[in-house]
Amino acid sequence: MFTQFSTWDIVRNLLEGGKWTLALTLIAFVLGGIAGLLVLFARIAGSRLLQTASKAYIEVFQGTPLLMQLFIVFFGLSLAGVDVSPWVAAAIGLTLFTSAYLAEIWRGCVESVSKGQWEASASLAMRYTEQMRYVILPQALRIAIPPTVGFSVQVVKGTAVASIIGFAELTKTGSMLANATFQPFMVFGFVALGYFFLCYPLSLYAKHLERKFHVAR
Amino acid sequence: MSLVKIAGLHKHFGSNHVLKGIDLEIAEGEVVAIIGRSGSGKSTLLRTINGLESIDDGEIVVDGATLHAGDKDLRPLRLKVGMVFQQFNLFPHLTAGENVMLAPTVVKKTPRAEAMEIARKMMAKVGLAEKFDSYPDQLSGGQQQRVAIARALAMNPRVLLCDEITSALDPELVNEVLSVVKQLAAEGMTLVMVTHEMRFAREVGDKLVFMYQGRVHEAGPPRELFANPQTEELASFVGSIN
Ligand SMILES: Nc1ncnc2c1ncn2[C@@H]1O[C@H](COP(=O)(O)OP(=O)(O)O)[C@@H](O)[C@H]1O
Ligand SMILES: [Mg+2]
Repeated sequence: MFTQFSTWDIVRNLLEGGKWTLALTLIAFVLGGIAGLLVLFARIAGSRLLQTASKAYIEVFQGTPLLMQLFIVFFGLSLAGVDVSPWVAAAIGLTLFTSAYLAEIWRGCVESVSKGQWEASASLAMRYTEQMRYVILPQALRIAIPPTVGFSVQVVKGTAVASIIGFAELTKTGSMLANATFQPFMVFGFVALGYFFLCYPLSLYAKHLERKFHVAR
Repeated sequence: MSLVKIAGLHKHFGSNHVLKGIDLEIAEGEVVAIIGRSGSGKSTLLRTINGLESIDDGEIVVDGATLHAGDKDLRPLRLKVGMVFQQFNLFPHLTAGENVMLAPTVVKKTPRAEAMEIARKMMAKVGLAEKFDSYPDQLSGGQQQRVAIARALAMNPRVLLCDEITSALDPELVNEVLSVVKQLAAEGMTLVMVTHEMRFAREVGDKLVFMYQGRVHEAGPPRELFANPQTEELASFVGSIN
């Protein structure tokens, strides 16, 4: 049985795969953002134990390839008797990866708020949590927006590794189509274009924000 | 009874012995000007008085709130002592009025309406009533520093510490800040200011403190000290700036 693929068939299938790339990105970004916030607070907390633990967490995820992280989640969980679909494994893996990077990016933003802001608020008798809540975090948040949007580009591209554990996102859909159509160059050209259309607006937006906040401060 | 009593105060930064036994008493309503070369420990002394730096030995008492070496809770002291910094340090994400309102609402849990009223009063006091809704980056340096003064005053401190508060200002903006300080002094506010404005120290100060290598080297009425320095170090310091 031999099926003829029109260009439109290829594009339609790739759009389907692209939808999953987008879904995976969104999940990783939202859950990773929430987890990243927790890691951030542990990282800048007063407690030595929390600091060390969160630092180790960040370094493990920054110091190993995303692909290995995904393998470990996917195969590790099935070894532990938990049967996870590639979809769930990819979502967990990318969430962990994203949380570690976002926590580190945001820590940099918190630390870039000047020492004078801590001192001025301390001299007004504010407690650590009050300083954080009313003085430091609101400023860190503004600084954090451009690099956070910039990092989302890395997450979009990172989702491609999920293809290796068999999750049919954009890259995996592309390789299946390439095998079926014997037109790898055209198919992967479209795949690349797909990633570009997802990433380019994000990086443009990040640059725009960076410029805007640069002018504001 | 003095309002501020500092006795046997020592402070180290690592192996650097920065304050080597400071004794100083400040009466209510007194205006103290601290002078001395860069690195003599003036800022460090001021910062210990409102608990921005811990101390290694000695005692600080401000209106009944005490600080000893090893004390962890610095808030009692900070509630009594306000501070104005060289670099203003206004909160850039808040309007001038919000800067002034923040600590009363957050720290003292003053109801918003009341805090707003206090803030308006303080902004008027420093001559910036009409800038209540401006953001710090819309204000001149002199205006920012006056907001910083209003912000400190809104906590109703017993003592106000000023660390070279005109040093970061363009010369033409210095006077608007000094005249606010002068007015506070006239109203009876207890002030401790590190300053390079010798004329101001002479005119407004009740007491002049000359710091030298981490010690109070000479202290007394400004006119006497300037006219008749008892030590060579003060004589040469006064000579170097005139
Ligand atoms: N946070 C700090 N860490 C280490 N050393 C400090 C710190 N702050 C001040 N010092 C040192 O303490 C000494 C006194 O500094 P400071 O009180 O700022 O002097 P002044 O205000 O009279 O110029 C200097 O030798 C300075 O280098
Ligand atoms: Mg200084």
